[in-house]
Amino acid sequence: MISNLPQDFSPILVQFLLALGFVIFTIIITHVLGPRLKSKQKEDPFECGIESEGDARTPLSVRYFLIAILFVLFDVEIIFMYPWAVNFKSLGWFGFIEMLTFVAFLMAGFYYIVKKGVLDWERD
Amino acid sequence: MENQLPAMPDVIAQVPLNNYVLLASILFIIGIAGVLIRRNAIIMLMSIELMLNAVNLLLVAFSSYRSDPNGQIFVFFIMAVAAAEVAVGLAIIVMIYRNIRSIDISLLDKLRG
Amino acid sequence: MYPIISLSVTGLLTLFLGFSENKKIVFPASIAFLLIALATAFIDWNAPGFYFNDMLQVNNTSIVFWAILIISAILIMGFSEGFERFEFAQPAEYFAIVQFSLVGAIMMVSFKNLIMLFLGIEILSVAMYVLTGADKRNIRGNEAALKYFLMGAFATGILLFGMAMFYGATGTFNIGSGVFIGGDNSFFLWIGCTFMLIGMLFKVAAAPFHLWTPDVYEGAPTIFTAYMSTIVKTAGFVALFKVLSTTFSGLQDFWWIMIAVLVTLSLMIGNIGAVSQNSFKRLMAYSSISHAGFMLLALLGDHENALGSIMFYSVVYTLATISAFGVLMVVSKERIEKGRVYEQNDLFKGLAQNNGFLATVLIIAMLSLAGIPLTGGFWGKFFVFRDAASSGLFWVIIMAVLMSAIAIYYYFKPVLLSMSKKTSLESITINPLAKFIFAITTFGTIVLGIFPWILRSLF
Repeated sequence: MISNLPQDFSPILVQFLLALGFVIFTIIITHVLGPRLKSKQKEDPFECGIESEGDARTPLSVRYFLIAILFVLFDVEIIFMYPWAVNFKSLGWFGFIEMLTFVAFLMAGFYYIVKKGVLDWERD
Repeated sequence: MENQLPAMPDVIAQVPLNNYVLLASILFIIGIAGVLIRRNAIIMLMSIELMLNAVNLLLVAFSSYRSDPNGQIFVFFIMAVAAAEVAVGLAIIVMIYRNIRSIDISLLDKLRG
Repeated sequence: MYPIISLSVTGLLTLFLGFSENKKIVFPASIAFLLIALATAFIDWNAPGFYFNDMLQVNNTSIVFWAILIISAILIMGFSEGFERFEFAQPAEYFAIVQFSLVGAIMMVSFKNLIMLFLGIEILSVAMYVLTGADKRNIRGNEAALKYFLMGAFATGILLFGMAMFYGATGTFNIGSGVFIGGDNSFFLWIGCTFMLIGMLFKVAAAPFHLWTPDVYEGAPTIFTAYMSTIVKTAGFVALFKVLSTTFSGLQDFWWIMIAVLVTLSLMIGNIGAVSQNSFKRLMAYSSISHAGFMLLALLGDHENALGSIMFYSVVYTLATISAFGVLMVVSKERIEKGRVYEQNDLFKGLAQNNGFLATVLIIAMLSLAGIPLTGGFWGKFFVFRDAASSGLFWVIIMAVLMSAIAIYYYFKPVLLSMSKKTSLESITINPLAKFIFAITTFGTIVLGIFPWILRSLF
C-alpha cells in the first residue's frame, strides 16, 4: 500500500547519507593518498602558451544585465495567466477580455523597451 | 462557494501546520539577520528575497490548511511585485557600481548630518 | 476607481510622448493628464460603492483624499519646469512614474482588501525608489536611492509577514469586519497586527523606524523630496487609519499603548534631531518625523473624528511643505557649488531684502509648520490635540505641546536668516507658474488658518 507518512521517505534519507559519505570519503582519500608536488612550473597555467592576462571574472556588459532583468520581469508576469487558464471556461469572454487588457499593458511596456533601443544589441 | 472547494488532502494534513509556521519564521529571521548583518548590497537584496519567500511559504501553508485560494493568489502578487522590486534594486546597484566601482554599502557615507 | 484607470493609461501615453520630436509638450501634457484624473475622480461623487470584486471601496471620503493627492502632485510638478535642468535625463519617464505612483497612492486610500493595500504601497514605493535616484551621476542621490530601497523592501517584507499571520488567524484578507483576541489564533493575530503596523510606520517615517528619512530626503532631488514628504505621508496615514479603525478596532487595547509610545518617540527624535541640522532638507526630514508623530496622535482618540483631523493636518502640512521646498528649489538654483545646488540653511541669508515675495512665502510656511496661530498649522495641531485629549492620555499631549515649543526654535532659524541684512545671492528670477503655485499654497495656509471649518466640516 502506498502511504505518505514521513517514515516512508527514509530510503531517500539513507541514499542521501550514502551519497554524502561517498563524496566526503573520496575527497579525504585523494588528499591522503595523492602525491604532492609543487613547483613554479606546475603552478603556471600552461607551460608554453601565451601569458595569462587579467582575472577570470571579467565584468559582463551592462546590456546583458538589462536583458536579463527584462526577461525576469516579463517571465514573472506569466504567472497571472495560470489561474486564468485553469478557469478559462468558467470565466468566459469576460476573463478573456481582462487578460487581453493585461497583455496589452505588458505589450505597451515591451513596445516602449523596443523603441528605447534596449534590445538593440549592436548599439554603442 | 467555499463548500464546493475540495477538502484538504490527507497528505497535507500529515504535517502539522505549526511546522510550516516554524519553518517560515526561521527563514524569515534568517532573512532579517542577513539584511542587518551583511554589508554587501547584493547579499542584502538576496536576504530580502528570502524574507519574501518565507512569507510566500507561510501564505501557501495557511491557504491549503484553510482550503481557501485567496492566500495563493496573494502569493502570485507578491512574486510579481518582488520581481519588479528586484529589477529596480539591481538597477540602483548597477548605477552605484558605475559611480564608485564597489557595492559595499559601508563606502556610502556621503550623507551625514 | 476612474482615476486609477485614467492615470494608468495616461502614464503610458506620457512615456510614449517622450519619443515625440517636441520635448516641450511633455510637461503641459502631464499636467493636463493629472487634471483629467482629478476630473474623473468626481464621477463617483455621492455614488459610494465597491469595485473590482469588493477589492476597492469608493465613497466621498476617499474621493476627497484622491483630490488632495492629485492636487498635491499637480502643485509639486508645477515646479519641475519640465525637468529641463542638467541633472534630469529622462523628463517623460519622471512624469510617467509620478502618474503611476499616484495610482498606488489612490489604492492606498481606498482599499478594502489587504492585497490592494500591499499593491498600493508597492506601486508607490517602487516608483519612489526610482525617483529618488533620478539624478544618476550624483553619488549622494545614488546612496539615498539604495538606502531607501533596502529599507523600504525590508519594511515590505515585515508588512507581508504581518499580513500572512493575519490571514492565518482570520482566514481572510478583507478588512471589513473587526477581529477580536481570543481562541487559539490570538498569537498569530498579535504578530500580524504588530508586524503590519511596523511595516506601515516605516513608510510614513515614524520613529523608531525613521532612520532612512534624513539621508533619503537629503540625497533625493528636491522636487522628489517634496513629493515623498507629502504624498507618501498622506496616503500612508490614511492606510494606517483604515487598518486600525476597521480590522484592528477590536484590538485597540493592544496597539493603543504602542502608538502612544511611538508618538512620544517620534516627537522627541524629530524635534530634538532637527535642532542641530544645518542642511535645510535634513531639517525638513526631522520635521517630517515629528509631524508623523502629531498625525499619529489623532489615531489615539475617537475614530469618528480622527479621519477628519488627519485630512486637515495632511492638507496644511502639504501646503506648507510644498511652499518650503518650492522656495528651496527656486533659491538653490542660483547657487551651485561643486556641481550641486547649495542646500544649507544659510542659503536663505538676506532673502527678505533680495526677494520679499519668496521670503514671505518661506516665513508663512515655517510659521504654519511650527503651528503659530492664524496659519493652518495651528488648527491642524489643535484638532489632533483635541482628538488625543478624548483618549485621556494627557502625558502624551503635554509632551507634544513641549515639543512644539522646541519646534518653534528650529523653524525660526531659516526665518531669522532670511531677515538678516547681508545677502549672498544675486537677484532671483521666479517663473510665473512657480509664483502662481506659491500664491495658492500661501493663500491656502492663511485661509485655513482663519477659517478652518471650511475644510474640517467636510466630514
